Amino acid sequence: MSKPVIEVKNLEKVYEGAVPVHAVNGISLTITQGEFTALKGPSGCGKTTLLNMLGGLDQPTAGSIAIGGADITTLSENALIDFRLRNIGFVFQAYNLIPVLSAQENVSFIMLLQDRPKEEREARAQQLLEAVGLKGKEDKRPGQLSGGQQQRVAVARALASKPQFVLADEPTANLDSQSTANLLDIMERLNKEEGMTFVFATHDDRVIKKARRIISIEDGKVLSDD
Amino acid sequence: MIFKVAWRNIWRAKVRSFIVIGSIAVGIWAGLLIIGFSFGMNNERTASAIGTTTGHAQIHHEGFDAEPLSNAVVADSSAVVALRKTVEALSFVSGTAQRTVLGGMINSTKSARAVRIMGIWPEEERLQTTLADYMVEGDFFGATGRNRLVIGEKLARRLGLKLRSKVVLTFQDSEGNLNRASFRISGIYKTLNATWDEFHIYVHHEDLEKTLGAPLVHEVLVRFEETVDTDEKAGALAAVMPVGLAVKSWKQVRPELGFADDMMAIMLVLVLGIIMMALLFGIINNMLMAILERRRELGMLMAVGMNKRKLFLMILVETLMLGFVGGPIGILLGDLSTRAMMRIGIDLSSKQDGLAELGVQSIIYPEIVPSYYLIIAVMVITTALIASILPAIKALKLNPVEAIRGH
Repeated sequence: MSKPVIEVKNLEKVYEGAVPVHAVNGISLTITQGEFTALKGPSGCGKTTLLNMLGGLDQPTAGSIAIGGADITTLSENALIDFRLRNIGFVFQAYNLIPVLSAQENVSFIMLLQDRPKEEREARAQQLLEAVGLKGKEDKRPGQLSGGQQQRVAVARALASKPQFVLADEPTANLDSQSTANLLDIMERLNKEEGMTFVFATHDDRVIKKARRIISIEDGKVLSDD
Repeated sequence: MIFKVAWRNIWRAKVRSFIVIGSIAVGIWAGLLIIGFSFGMNNERTASAIGTTTGHAQIHHEGFDAEPLSNAVVADSSAVVALRKTVEALSFVSGTAQRTVLGGMINSTKSARAVRIMGIWPEEERLQTTLADYMVEGDFFGATGRNRLVIGEKLARRLGLKLRSKVVLTFQDSEGNLNRASFRISGIYKTLNATWDEFHIYVHHEDLEKTLGAPLVHEVLVRFEETVDTDEKAGALAAVMPVGLAVKSWKQVRPELGFADDMMAIMLVLVLGIIMMALLFGIINNMLMAILERRRELGMLMAVGMNKRKLFLMILVETLMLGFVGGPIGILLGDLSTRAMMRIGIDLSSKQDGLAELGVQSIIYPEIVPSYYLIIAVMVITTALIASILPAIKALKLNPVEAIRGH
């Protein structure tokens, strides 16, 4: 059996207010290496909150999250930033590339934050952009690329730091069907060929169809897992 | 790459960056002009004081500085000649002149006032000072005659005196006896320093000697080749003085000129400080706008693992770059315009009378003071550093999850 990458136990997230909202209400799950998993559910079901907590961007109210065996809920803010940098790849709905940098520089930038040497940064960025089908577009800035191409740069960026897994929050929401198909093919290939673990939060059927494990979430709880 | 990102970020909002960079450049340009103008004015005042009346340094008896009594002479006549030869042999000295200096009273038929009576050797005085160029009526001991007196225009007016008016001078001889002698106005002068004009009258040393009995030399004026390092040169002069004599540089003789220098330095730093304050708010505003516009991007950077130190550094570098672009442009503009005005001069003839009170001529030639370029550079960098703090803190406080969503 593959080793667990993410282990979540009794996770809860309560947003305090006049009426407290249980965005995540007692979720326990394990994600092992090499999974291609979709967290699905309607808007407001808690999947994005769960994803943010898995990515160390949000702190749970109760429960524990272990990544590669290390509990991240006890880390200080600075330690968590560093942990994210070295262990987690992110793909966002709105691509969130740096508009003043070229595709290659966007991918390299994250390795710069890891203090990797210049030659390694350049070679790896080149290789990743080729892997996501953007050879020849290395010097284009995000504004000169289509939405699908930008999201592929974002995937390359997420992989650049050699993370344990990639979290993607609605990665296809802004894409047409052709771009979505391309992007999913690329991620599936990276998953199969390189064993990269992908976790999506999505309500896009095209993504859900490709996923090998689908966790349905509703009202902050796991409804089904298959 | 942080530098590259910062540099490119500046040019994302071109108009806004141009405005900030432009304001930095204009601020520095204005600062340099004010500096050039102020130094020009001060140099003018100093040069005119040295040239017309004071000289670069003066030699007195030690006691003369404490109390200018008539018996506090430099030395007897022959010793003074030897002393002046020694002084004139120094490489940086261009010439010397000797004077009898007596405290006394001048009486007209209308009024009386305390004055300083300068008994001069007119030929020497003409060689070493430019007072003779400042005559408004009569002449500077040109024609022959006895008991002639040259008086400042302002004093003459106060005493109701005209050319050829008669006055009586009262002064002490070296024994302490009071003497009186009558003189006739043969010239009226007007220098750029009204205060000097009101207190100093000039007579021929021979006319004083008739009453005093012998030539008394209280003061030896020394002119240097150039008005630079005058304190050091005065020190070198003091080193060759016999015991009992004191050397004062022009700054000590006319302390008000030195104070004006110090005052000006303080004023200039204040003016520059005010300019920098204005720039500070402009830069802060610009950077806050930039942070606001880039919330998503900054949120993403924090999410993927850019630590606070690097984020702070990125904003700091970006802010500094505004200064590094605007600063040199401002310095270049300031330098060029100061140089242009050094040639043409700034004509302030309409303010001539007011300027004369300050001891300044009506055309001012600004001066370039390189040390202020460094001061300005340091101030701009400091301003940019301070300006980056608030925006950087604002950026660090962003919550990555909310910022990415654009909230």
